[in-house]
Amino acid sequence: MRGVLVGALLGIAATIAPASGVVAQTLNFSWPANVGPLNPHAYAPSQMFAQGMVYESLVKYQPDGTVAPWLAASWTTSEDGRTYTFKLRDDVTFSNGETFDAAAVVANLETVMANRKSHDWLELISQFHSVKALADFTVELQLKDPYYPLLQELALVRPVRFLAPSQLPASGNTEEGVKAPIGTGPWKLVETRLGEYDVFERNDSYWGQKPAYEKIVVKVIADSNTRAVALETGDIDLIYGDEGPITPDTFARLKAQGYQGEISPPLGTQAIALNTNKAPTNDLAVRQAINHAIDKDTLISTIYHGTQTRADTLFAPTAPYSDVGLKPYGFDAALAASLLDKAGWTLAPGADFRAKDGQPLQIDLAYIGTDAVMKSVAEVLQADLAKVGIEARLLGEEANAFYARQTDGNFGMIFGNTWGAPYDPHAFVSSMRVPAHADYQAQLGLPDKAKIDAEIGQALTSTDETKRQELYTDILTRLHDEAVYLPLTYSTAMLVARDNVGNLTFGATSFDYPFADLKPKD
Amino acid sequence: MAGFIIRRLLLLIPILLGVSILMFVIIRMAPGDPAVAYLKLSNIPPTPSAVAEARHTLGLDRPILSQYASWIGNAVKGDFGVSHVTRRPVIDDIMHFLPATLQLAGVALLFTLVVSVPLGIWSARYKDRWPDHLVRGFAFVGVSTPSFWLGFLLVLLFSLTLKWLPPMGKGGWQHMIMPVLAVSFMSLAINARLLRASMLETASARHVLYARLRGLSDRRVERSHILRNAMLPIVTATGMHVGELLGGTLVIESVFGWPGIGRYAVTAIYSRDFPVIQCFTLFLVTIFVLCNLVVDILYAWLDPRIRLNAEAAL
Repeated sequence: MRGVLVGALLGIAATIAPASGVVAQTLNFSWPANVGPLNPHAYAPSQMFAQGMVYESLVKYQPDGTVAPWLAASWTTSEDGRTYTFKLRDDVTFSNGETFDAAAVVANLETVMANRKSHDWLELISQFHSVKALADFTVELQLKDPYYPLLQELALVRPVRFLAPSQLPASGNTEEGVKAPIGTGPWKLVETRLGEYDVFERNDSYWGQKPAYEKIVVKVIADSNTRAVALETGDIDLIYGDEGPITPDTFARLKAQGYQGEISPPLGTQAIALNTNKAPTNDLAVRQAINHAIDKDTLISTIYHGTQTRADTLFAPTAPYSDVGLKPYGFDAALAASLLDKAGWTLAPGADFRAKDGQPLQIDLAYIGTDAVMKSVAEVLQADLAKVGIEARLLGEEANAFYARQTDGNFGMIFGNTWGAPYDPHAFVSSMRVPAHADYQAQLGLPDKAKIDAEIGQALTSTDETKRQELYTDILTRLHDEAVYLPLTYSTAMLVARDNVGNLTFGATSFDYPFADLKPKD
Repeated sequence: MAGFIIRRLLLLIPILLGVSILMFVIIRMAPGDPAVAYLKLSNIPPTPSAVAEARHTLGLDRPILSQYASWIGNAVKGDFGVSHVTRRPVIDDIMHFLPATLQLAGVALLFTLVVSVPLGIWSARYKDRWPDHLVRGFAFVGVSTPSFWLGFLLVLLFSLTLKWLPPMGKGGWQHMIMPVLAVSFMSLAINARLLRASMLETASARHVLYARLRGLSDRRVERSHILRNAMLPIVTATGMHVGELLGGTLVIESVFGWPGIGRYAVTAIYSRDFPVIQCFTLFLVTIFVLCNLVVDILYAWLDPRIRLNAEAAL
């Protein structure tokens, strides 16, 4: 009977034409949720990648960590570092035809400043003092204190991007929403079907290089397996993203099947924080031994299928101010063992794990239990550590419980990520001073924690480039020498595309999606 | 009968009230902070001040009693609050996604009945012969197959290998075939097995023997004397299947990218979207209670003994 049933279904199915063909000039992409109302000054449910398609910033972040002119053609800084004067491009219009000018910049910045509390996490906004239009295309921005990462943070996708002034709500306050998402960017949002898809069309009046695709359809696909299948059946043409749009083994499988698959340069670092404020990781020798005990190359080839690269320092040397000549802790299990022996952590005859004065060498490793990749990594770490006599107890919890541990410091070792470009290193080190961060908690046991925090503060406000580099060198060297982190891999964005997508590139940060650069191909 | 229905409907009020209190407390006892989840969704680092601000925005900084009082007060008026994730009124979202789920679950229920009843009859008719073995084997596989796994297998076969069916999304009837198969497979197997057992039990009853002695044809005996009496457990089971199918859509909608409330609820659970979880739970409870009521009414209609007893009790 089952055979009959299946047979009948096959019969029905045989009469159906295969899934509809891909319309040329349309790029099909997928995302776990709808793109949202695309308010340039608000967060969830507006999706960053889509805000970046519709709205633009004054300056653009470059892969080398510098910023280039964008909507602002040039700028000058006052002697005291508190006043920035931007000269805007005079050939930019919003996609509805309105002129982008100083008045538009002021209207947008004022509503952002009025809602400071919502943007409290971003130092840039707290530093804004006032903004005024000096001429039709000249804007002056006053800061409270000198703040060197200003330009990097102005490049962020939110909140400093620009909505056509006519689309502001009557009160001018975008916290209440926007009338329609009209920006200056290369794409326009034209249709949203809740739970199904969003459609973007090319902005034909775009001032810059116009995209090659006419249309981008973003289908709502929450499940990563479903996403991979959709690529294989041609329902989508492109998989792109930095937060595991598909699993590493699926990436490897699709690549083996002949799809175009690429990995971006390092975007951020996956590093385990070692708690210096909790036994036994409060012992420097233990932290150093952990750093020597892990075989990262094998980890990367087996679990990540080569989709990430080995990290030896907290920030990739390619990140700004981070090429400070730190000596990697190489993989050397024998050295790890001897470090532990010297520090008094010895292996009793017949025992699997070391102990010191009756205290077992036992460390809780916290990870997100529902994250299959993180779980596998945790298991590999556990096995590598066991080889040198360290017992790692795996603490796999649901995501929200995991984040609670990051905040209250209740961990021995915990997974974490730096924030990536353009936040690294300045915003990430800045957060090390905040008690609700795993980094602050992990560093609490350091004798020079107060000094590190003070130096971070100085580095952020210093106007002297040489001095700033010195401060960063000192901060990063101290953290490295104290082995507060076990850097594992440099995280990357992954891209898988069908043959009909050409000119594949990556954005400079994980929030820049290079749709405008992609080209349809036969 | 009308009194019976009204009484049962009135009973829904204390049930929903009780469930709402239980659920309100339980989801707040689970680890994880919705404010932190909201910040993660927004790519905002959860600094203490950001968390405090998010809590305030989401109305989570008030005492739980006051949260419950204002929530239930509004819920009675049909206002279930605003989703933390989509920032839209929950009831609007649910109403938007509900039709797709009802369509999927409805077709699945129909499919379950249309296939399982003949299978059960066939199996009982040929007890211990090959059709019976086949159906029993099928039922065994059915109850042991997780729906999401079956879903992926179907996709592998029909979308990837044969390229006959679209793997995801909502569109024509082709889009429904695999989700319906995957979500109804278990209910279908249970139903077929249940009907078989029930029919065999009824077949050994005395009234069936007398019917045969009266010289009625096998077909007539089966239809009028076995099947009708054997249907009672199926009615109960079908009532449960409605709930199961709606619950099954939680998983299946995510697998097939089906834009219904199942996927919406799963997203809500992941992001600790309390208003959505609360509304969705109450909705499911209501469905379960109503299905049970319908089952009871059908019982009375199918079985005169129950109907007469109930009327005598009035």
